[in-house]
Amino acid sequence: MGLVRKQQPEPETAPPLDTGELIRKLDDPDPEQRREAALELAGEPDAVPELLARVGLETQPRVRDAMLTTLAGHDTEAVAAGLAVHLASDEAGLRTAVAEALATMPLSVPGLLPDLLAAPDHDVRVMTAMVLADLPTPEARSWLVRMITDDTHPNVVTAAIDALLPAATAEHVPVLEAAARRFPDDPFLQFTVRAALPGLAGTQ
Amino acid sequence: MAGATSAGAGLSDADFDRFTEYFYKRTGIHFTHAKRYFVDKRVETCIRSSPYDTFASWFAALRMDKPDMLQELINELTVNETYFLREDYQFDAMLNTVLPKALAARGGVNRIAGPIKILSLPCSTGEEPYSIALRLLEEWDQIDHVDVEIHGADIDSDVLAKAAHASYGARSLARVPKAWVNKYFTPVGSGRYQVDEGIRSAVTLHKVNVCDTAAMRAFRDFDVIFCRNVLIYFDELSSRRAAENLYGALRPGGHLFLGHSESMSRISPIFTPTRLPEGIVYQRPTGAK
Repeated sequence: MGLVRKQQPEPETAPPLDTGELIRKLDDPDPEQRREAALELAGEPDAVPELLARVGLETQPRVRDAMLTTLAGHDTEAVAAGLAVHLASDEAGLRTAVAEALATMPLSVPGLLPDLLAAPDHDVRVMTAMVLADLPTPEARSWLVRMITDDTHPNVVTAAIDALLPAATAEHVPVLEAAARRFPDDPFLQFTVRAALPGLAGTQ
Repeated sequence: MAGATSAGAGLSDADFDRFTEYFYKRTGIHFTHAKRYFVDKRVETCIRSSPYDTFASWFAALRMDKPDMLQELINELTVNETYFLREDYQFDAMLNTVLPKALAARGGVNRIAGPIKILSLPCSTGEEPYSIALRLLEEWDQIDHVDVEIHGADIDSDVLAKAAHASYGARSLARVPKAWVNKYFTPVGSGRYQVDEGIRSAVTLHKVNVCDTAAMRAFRDFDVIFCRNVLIYFDELSSRRAAENLYGALRPGGHLFLGHSESMSRISPIFTPTRLPEGIVYQRPTGAK
């Protein structure tokens, strides 16, 4: 007993499965098999439609997250569009997981933003603000400012303010003040702006 | 002019962008322009040690999948500064809470099947896995009753060679009690001390990229993983992939330690954060097979 060196030789890792076998494993009854297959399909364009078709159906969050990680690696507009439909899902876990995945796709998500910002469902626009909060692109701030300035729903504007705040500076004070004037009867938006303004004074 | 940069002149903006994109695709590590000086100097070192005299010729050779060149580059561009017993409150957490939980979950001392497995990734020059070994030997009351395997892994082959040799200077050993140095190290001259063979031989070292899902399949059923101060170098997507691979390397119920400034909550929701008296640790859910 005590510290022991690993006695066995390195386990032989099974030879990699081909794309077709991995796709079949996406339907394995064992969630861990599905999760591993989803990860190993990274970089396989042929697997994209199969993964997109299963994201909304997968019942295990950890398997779904693995699918989303692999899909996000493609960062194409087709994948982003295929994921963005789930921002309207009734399942909170799915739409949040999708928003987090889209936030790692800086090349493709900007192309979807005009449609997402014009979505008739204001909850989709709220989720879009969540995506923009973490999207690593310099344009994210200007899109959020546009949402704060133009969107007609107070929940969307409040979500966009929340998303902007970590990167906001004194130059955004007039934007926030204008939003507060547009929705004088929305207490949560008023509170959000009041809480944010003192922290922005003097920032650059 | 893009591609014509000579060694010593620094990279042009276009070369920097091409290079960092390539390096990201191969390793998951992303360098922004804020790291420009750091990258320029190290790429320059690689070009000087190669038979090529311009960035363009060196980069063209690198892209032809020459593994030695890529490995040299990785070794230059990864940061390996560490020391013994760094952030040792996490080792306290391992001894006080995590290992007792792991033992209990696996049936207790008398019924446990197989060793307790601990992984240090990245292990750099070995200070972390050897620190774990020292803390276990000196302070874990079950060490004589349970087998423990310690593994260290890193993407950098140079630091793994140093970890295997396990010889350290005063700065690295500053936090190690003198009595432990006398008990577990041998002076090897020039103020350096080498970890004794008994401990060196008990730590198994591996070369692996934590973002490489296929390579990480070899790591399974770990009870504890230390993955500290590395995810901060990755962009969002690579961090997610690394998190997925670490999840796969843990046994259900296994625990993951990140660096004190790192948080899994912004990377992936698949772990359960657990607050211990010594800080946050991330657990692979027990219900997940």
